[in-house]
Parts: sequence; structure tokens; C-alpha cells
Amino acid sequence: MMKTFRDSVWISENDLRQSFKSVRHVVWSLLFPIFMMLTFSFRYGEQGIDPQYMTQILIPGIVAMTSMFGSINETMSIVWDRSMGCFDRILAAPVSSSAIIIGKTLSGTVMGFISAVVVLGVGGLLFNVWLGNIGLVLLLLVLSCFSFTGIGTIISGLASEPREAMMLSNVLRFPMMMLGGVFFPIEVMPVPLQWVARAFPLTYATEAIRTVSTELTTVVLIDVAVLVVYTLATILIGSKILLKIVTR
Amino acid sequence: MDSAIEVKELTKYYGKLLAVDHVNFGVKKGEIFGLLGPNGAGKTTTIRMICGMLQPTSGNALVDGYDVSKQPEEVKRRIGLVPDISNLFGELSARVNLEFMGKLYGLDKKTRRERIDNVLELFQLKDRQGDIVKYYSKGMHRRLTIAAALIHEPDILIMDEPTTGLDAQTARMVREKIIELNREGRTVLLTTHQIDEADRLCNRVGIIDLGRLVALNTPEELKDSTKGVRALEIRVYGWDQQHWVSLFRQTEGVDNAVLAEGKIRILSQNLSGIIPLVVNLVEEHKGRIESISISQPSLEDAFISLTGKTIREELPSKTDYMRTRMTKSGGLR
Repeated sequence: MMKTFRDSVWISENDLRQSFKSVRHVVWSLLFPIFMMLTFSFRYGEQGIDPQYMTQILIPGIVAMTSMFGSINETMSIVWDRSMGCFDRILAAPVSSSAIIIGKTLSGTVMGFISAVVVLGVGGLLFNVWLGNIGLVLLLLVLSCFSFTGIGTIISGLASEPREAMMLSNVLRFPMMMLGGVFFPIEVMPVPLQWVARAFPLTYATEAIRTVSTELTTVVLIDVAVLVVYTLATILIGSKILLKIVTR
Repeated sequence: MDSAIEVKELTKYYGKLLAVDHVNFGVKKGEIFGLLGPNGAGKTTTIRMICGMLQPTSGNALVDGYDVSKQPEEVKRRIGLVPDISNLFGELSARVNLEFMGKLYGLDKKTRRERIDNVLELFQLKDRQGDIVKYYSKGMHRRLTIAAALIHEPDILIMDEPTTGLDAQTARMVREKIIELNREGRTVLLTTHQIDEADRLCNRVGIIDLGRLVALNTPEELKDSTKGVRALEIRVYGWDQQHWVSLFRQTEGVDNAVLAEGKIRILSQNLSGIIPLVVNLVEEHKGRIESISISQPSLEDAFISLTGKTIREELPSKTDYMRTRMTKSGGLR
């Protein structure tokens, strides 16, 4: 048990070490959200930046979105490792399958969390906008990172090579980003689209972070409940698929 | 117990494709054992199953008495695996790569440092230890890959095509290292498709073809098994080479005929008797003999007489190609 946990820490540490050195990661997990934040902050044109829009919509949305991009990207390192053969190194070592799965889940979550916190900080510094209830916001971020890591694991298990994984993940990420309440609240969309949005975990993550930064309401609790269900389901399915790869 | 590795009825299907077909062999402690066969013969798949990276469809492998399907971690702890292509983490430095391997094998910090220094020294990589691995040359990659397999000081070293794709000088160095590591008491199981490598390095050689182990013996004995057989090398024009091969195969007295590097190699117990037949046959079919020579039997001829083909078949068939791709990528996904 202790050994499994230690092995999983080594595996995730090695993953993160690699990711921090890779341009792909920095671009997708940090630069992309920051650019999106800058672009949408000017949406009122000459009226300048609207602080209310920033605190209540954009920053919480972008931060939640960053956790999604960071976590999914990091988990997809499984596909890259497999295509490069380095995954075999871990398979050939005396570590248990659960250590590999826990390690990969851990690195996805940590990467998503770190990226989201960096973007939160950058947003704060650029626009002097700080979210309230920061402790709860961070907790929610951890939860949403876990749920996105689960999605990342499923994608990594299904895709046989990096291009396929990129394609699959973008097919999921872009609709989530556009419809998940990142740039505008989902209530402004036509009702059928709102239903679609309600199927995405990102919608609940943005809503929860946005709401909790001003007050803790039942909305947040419902969001948390949905995210927990999402997390459990995706991590369970993802681990099952990964286990197939690990013990082929 | 004098067996380091014991393989029993090991079988692997990829879907409907039979990659490894009821293979049996044992590797004795302290020997260098070679699995010789063309690309796609099932060598890599066999090795992956022994190392616990691939589940056999049936049969099993014992390493140091541990059943790999039951106690994979015990097996993995005892094996150092050198894959055929470098699979180190390209974005990280050599030292960080070795550190990670040391951690996965449960070495403490002090032991890691010592062992890493040792292997870096041994493979002359010390002054490049901080460099990012993806900028390494092919030879350095291979050296580091072997170094990484030694970090936990395994008793058994399994190497997949250890010298393939290397320049002559590096290949020689790798071979010397293999012999050195073996002298220190390590058992070595290697795969190769190079006959001379098997001949020079291995105490015993298993010939594997189309997933089956067709022979197992010392290189000398294998060569002896072709006793009495001589080889005639002939270069003929006029028809498609395969056409000539099948004609020669049907000739009386010919044991086998194969295409090898543009020449046709004819094996026979009675060479002097078949030469006139071959020459006549070529004339009958309006062909032209470009060159003809007689050679001593080699391990290659043993291979030919056992498998009916050369190890360097000019063009692999489509299934062979598929096999290679599947084993290289670790199986169907």
C-alpha cells in the first residue's frame, strides 16, 4: 500500500517534470487560457474593462477552463509515452498497475491545479480582480481537476496515438469551452443549448467557482454533487480502460 | 535450480494472428542465450511476455522460479530489460532518467547515487549526464538504455536486438559489454536477426520462425546439423528469381533453395551431382548463369534448412510486416 503510493508519486513527479519542459504543455495549459482571458476582457470595447463581468463571469470561467485544459493535457501524456515507448519502461518496472493509474491521475490533477492557479494569479495581477472565498475556490478547483483527469484518462485509453488523442480531446474540449459558461452565463443561450451545457462537467465547475466566490449557496452544493458523480464515474471508467493497457 | 528462465508452451494470439506458438525453452544461469529469427518471427512478443509486459494467451514463463503471470513484480525486479529502440524520457537528462528508474526499482537515495555514477562511468556517459536525452546520438541512446537496465543490478539481462541499427564500432562495444556483463555472472537472453552475432556471442541459440521455436542448440551443433550439406550460390538471369528458386527446389537432390542477397543459395547433400542438373535446367529455360560458387555451411544454412528461408528475406510478406508492426507497438490496440 505504502509502496504503491510512493511509486505513484514517483510516476507523477516524472510526468510533471517532463511536462514543464514541454512547449506543448505551456502553450495549451497556460498561454491559451491567458490569451482567451485577454481577448474577452475587451468585449466592451471603448467602455473599457467591466470589473463585474471579470469577477463574475470571465475569471472564474477561464480558471475552470484552465483546470480542464491542464488536466486533460497532462493525462494525455500516457498516449505520448506509449507512442514513444517510454510507457514500457514503467510497465517493465516492478510497480503495480494501481500505482501507474494513481500516478497518472495524480499528475493530471496537479497539472490542472497548478495551471489554474497560475492563470488565476495572472488574471488578478493584470486586472486587479481577486475572487472571494479563495480557499473554497481552490478546493473546487481540485475537485474539477479530478473530474477532468478522469475524462483525460478515458481519452488516453481510447486513443491509439497522439493525433487521435488530440482530436478526441478537442472534440470534447471546444464545445465545453464555448457552451460551458466560460465567457457568458449559460442562461443567455437558447434552452436546448442549455441542456447540452448541463451535460458538461465544465458547466458545473464554472458555476460553482463563480457562485462560491461571492457566497456559498445550494447551487454550489448541487454543482459539487454533480462534479463528484462525474469524477467517480470518469475515473472508474478511465481506470478500467487504463488497466487494460497496463495488463495487456 | 540452474534455470534462470523457463518458458513453457508460451503462446500469444493477436486477434486471429498467432504471433508465438507454443514455445518452450530454458535459459541456464550464467549463459548467453540467443533467440535468432527474422523480423516478425515473434521474438519481441516472447520477450515481452517473459518480462510481464504482455499477457500470454496460454502457457507461462518462470523467471528464477517465479511465475510471471502470478508474481509479475518479483519477475520484473530480477530482470533488466533493454528494448530494441531507446525508450528513455526524451525531455529529461540522462541522470534524471536513471534517477527515475532507480526510484521505480525501490533504491534509496544513496544507493541510487552510487549506482548511477557507476553505470554512467561504465558506459562513458558521465560528462554528458546532464544533457537532454533527445539530443543524444543513436549510440549514446543505446548505451544509456543498457545502463538504465543495470541500475537495479539484475541477475538476468534481457536484450532485444542489442546491436541493430548501430554503427560497427558501437555494435562492437555493445557486444564486448554483453560479454563483460555475462562474465560478471549475469544471465543474458538476447534476440537477434544477425546470424554472426548469434554465432559469436551466444552459448546456445534458439531459432524462431513464424512464432515457433524450430531448433535449439549451441551454434556449433546447429552448424553440424547441416553436416554433409553443402551450399551452391548461383546468380542467374532470364526469369524472375522466385521462378528459378521454385524450379531448383523441384530438382532431384536439392534439399532447399532460397533467395539470398540477389543470389540463389541451393543446399544439397550431393553438390557435385546437382551442379550439372542445375546448369542444364538453366539452359533449358533459356537463362544465363552469371556466377556460380560453392561455400561451406554456415549457421545461416542451418537456418535455411530448418525454416526453408533466409533470415534476410528480400521483401517481407504483408503478414510479416503486420506482425512486426504489432510487436513493435506492443500489440493490437
